[in-house]
Parts: sequence; C-alpha cells; structure tokens
Amino acid sequence: MRRPLPWALTWVLCLAPALVAQDPTAGPTVQAFLFGDALYTVDDGDGPEGFKLGQIVAHGNATLSERVLFFGEMSITARSTGYGLGMERAILRYEANDALKVSVGRYHTPISYWNTAFHHGLWLQGSVARPEAVKFGSRFIPVHFVGAMAEGQLPNSPVFYQVGVGNGRSTNIAGAGDFGDVNSERAVILSASLRPASLFGFRVGGGLYFDKVPSADEVDPDERIASGYLVWDRGSLDLITEYIAVRHDRDGSSATSSNAYYVHAGLRLPGELRDVTPYARYESMDIDATDAVFGSVIPDYEAIVVGIRYNFDALATLKIEYRNVTADGGEGQSALFFQTSFAIPMFGG
Amino acid sequence: MSRHVRTGVEALLIIVLISSGPATAPASAQSAEAVAIVVHPATEVEDLTFAELKRIFRGERQFWENGRRVTLLIRAPVAVERELVLDRIYDMDEDSFREFWIGKMFRAEVAAGPKLVYSAGTAQDLVRVIPGAITFVSVADVNSETKVVRIDGLLPSDPGYPLR
Repeated sequence: MRRPLPWALTWVLCLAPALVAQDPTAGPTVQAFLFGDALYTVDDGDGPEGFKLGQIVAHGNATLSERVLFFGEMSITARSTGYGLGMERAILRYEANDALKVSVGRYHTPISYWNTAFHHGLWLQGSVARPEAVKFGSRFIPVHFVGAMAEGQLPNSPVFYQVGVGNGRSTNIAGAGDFGDVNSERAVILSASLRPASLFGFRVGGGLYFDKVPSADEVDPDERIASGYLVWDRGSLDLITEYIAVRHDRDGSSATSSNAYYVHAGLRLPGELRDVTPYARYESMDIDATDAVFGSVIPDYEAIVVGIRYNFDALATLKIEYRNVTADGGEGQSALFFQTSFAIPMFGG
Repeated sequence: MSRHVRTGVEALLIIVLISSGPATAPASAQSAEAVAIVVHPATEVEDLTFAELKRIFRGERQFWENGRRVTLLIRAPVAVERELVLDRIYDMDEDSFREFWIGKMFRAEVAAGPKLVYSAGTAQDLVRVIPGAITFVSVADVNSETKVVRIDGLLPSDPGYPLR
C-alpha cells in the first residue's frame, strides 16, 4: 500500500537537513515538528457541534551542545473567544549521562503515562481525545508542572526514574503555577517505570505527587496523588491501562479519595489493511462528593469510546470515533467525531 | 581535525551523497549478506551484546562509557541493510519506525533522531569523523579504515552472527 518514493521523501525531509550538523559538538542544531488537527462533531447532547480547528502545535528540540538541550512546545488553540497562544512545555536540560539528566522548566507532569506520552500533537495518540482524567484543562490531576526535575535510568537496570520539585497547582487548580507558587508548599513528584529490554514496548510504572492545593479557605488541603500504569506498545497491539487516585485532607482527620482509571486498546490490522487501527476505551472517574477540592466541580464520569484510525498518508491520519458519556449518573450522551490530524517535520541547522 | 574542518568535510560529503545518493544504494544492498556494526575509531568499545546494541539503536542508551554522546547514522529507506536492521534490531516496519522516532523526539526522550545517510561509503566516512557515531554497513562494503564491533563476541563472518 505504501508508495516507496513518498516514504523516502518523508525521511529525507525529516532527517537529511540535520546532516550538516551531525557532530553534536559542532554547535547548536534544531529539529522541529508542526502538529495540527481539525475536528467535526455531531453531538446528541449539549456539546458543541460542527467544525473546529483543533490545536496547531510547534515542537522543537535544540541541541545547544553535547550535554545541554532545550525542548519546547507551543500551541495555538481555537477558543470561543478566538485563538489562544500557549506555552505548553519549555525544558532546559543538562545530560550528565544516561543515569542523570537535570532540567528546569515547564513539563507535562509525569504522574500519568498518557500525560507524558502524547503531549499536544494528536497525530501520535490513538484516539480523538485524551481520557477525561488527564485531558488538558483537567482539574483531576495537575497536567502541567513548573519546576525542576532529575531523571535517568539506574545503571545496569531496566528502571527509569523522575524526581521533581515545583510550584504545584495554581489558584485555578487546572492551571500550573507559571508565575510562582501561590502557596508556600512546593509540590514534589516521584515516578518510576520498569522497561525490560527483553520486552521492548512493555512498560509498567507509577508515580506519587505531594502538594497543598491552593484554597480560599484558611487551610490549604494536603493533596496526594498515586498512580500506576501498564503499557504494551509494540507490533499490532497498543494497550494502555492506568489508575490514578487523588487524596485530599484538610485537617488531618477528614481525608477523601477520588479515583479514575481507563483501559485503552488498539489493534492494527494486518496485511493490506495495516494502515487501519480499530480501538476502544473504557474510562471512569469516581469523585467523592465531600472532597474539599473536587466535590463541587468535578462530576463522576463514565465513557465508552469506540473508533477507527486510518493513516491515509505517511504523516496524516483520519479518526472516526463514537463516544458515549455518562456524567454524575445521568442519562448517557453520545457524540460522533471525525478528526484529521497531521505531523509536519521541519528543521534547522 | 578541527571542528570547522570536520564540519566542512561533512557538508561536502553530504553534497556528494545527495547528488549520487539513493541510486547507488541498491547495488551495495543487494550484495549484503551480513551487516557490520561500525563505530568511531576513538570509541572504546570492541564488543557489544545484542541487547545493548538494541538499546543504543533504540535511543535508550545515549552515552558511551567515555561520556561521548551516541550519534546514530541510519541508511535511507531504499537500503537492504536498513530493512535488516529494522527487522532485527527495531522489530518494526517503516511506519512504526517513523512514528517511534517522532514520538521519542516529541516526548523529549532524545535530543535528536538518527541521521540519514545514503550510501555505505558515506556512512563509513561520517562515522570516522563524528565522535561517538555508530552505524551499520553491509559486510561486503566494509573498508580497512572502519572499526567493526563484535556483537555477542561474534564478527559478521562468524556463524551465529545476529545481523545476517
């Protein structure tokens, strides 16, 4: 099905320009991508219908020297009031070796696998949208993290780690503390994953996140997030399952716990149909109604997602997705999505 | 060789390889029986396990023991050597391989993707001038100045060599 010439051209466009700076000590180099998507929605509920230009995302990797790197991701997002420009990630990293890489900047919080695997470019992810618990703008977890991070792979082991300290949530708990911490308690994140070399594509891991959530009340509640995931991302099967529990405690004696999980599976078809991947996902969020932070702002949520992804070109895809959502035990609402997304390699030298 | 001279040599090689590039690749590829792994002469490695080689080519190990960053040079899609490496080391087809590297760059897991080369000669020329570079060439194309690394203690001519 694939035509050899466009394939070769794709690789030439992706990588050939970087050749002039192959020596990492020779000076700064840049590799960049542009991602974008457009969506058409049919909704039987109150959701918005019709056409929508999704995000245009620019991502760049800059090698400043052999050990100093910069990663940046910016987005232009369609909103009801126009288009918004956002700094999604900006990370300056010093890499001492494989075991220790130290960075500072704005990250996608490594408390969720999906949050750090797919970022804003929808071309990479297997469905039209993220699971509700980890969607952009989610209040359930802090999607973005502003701070410093140390990460790497423990020597002679399949264990990868990340340790970070940062500002935590903003006054609007869906936002990151981009302009400084709004309370005196820094957030701490610890995460680890096991990636055995003999099981390439298999990953099991989890994380812990500690902070105090900014609150209008006298006492900011303690927040503790624990997560775990299991991923198989090889060959024709794409399986992701993740569980996240968020605990809030205002006074040390009234802790509440809310949790979310999802199971996402995609199966790439064989042979002549290898550009087609049917997928399905079940997701659930169970919010404690007495939760000091979530109780009045996040509903219980359940969704069934069924879709099909078709890579109609080397760097462009069409996804058709049916989604049935039940919020707070109400009547289910269905929607149908048609989304096309793409990735464009850009470059510099 | 100074940095500027080395960069100039690379640029010249690229012009040559782009002008003569893919058209010459199938001829050498057709003669390929085994694929040799070659590294920069100053890289202090004589033998890699196949598992370690996979980690290097998959971007999971990014530094050599001497602290140099690994620079991956990968043949363009028309080369038979590339097909063998995608099959044995990556266990991927071209679709998955492309998505794999875009994903790694997008996730900030690697500083850069592999560098594309269009012929065995260019691969060997570049691997000699770029510190930390590693690539693969058909064993029939290996020249006397190239440093070949053993895989699991085996040279490409040995029985049981994994990249054949």
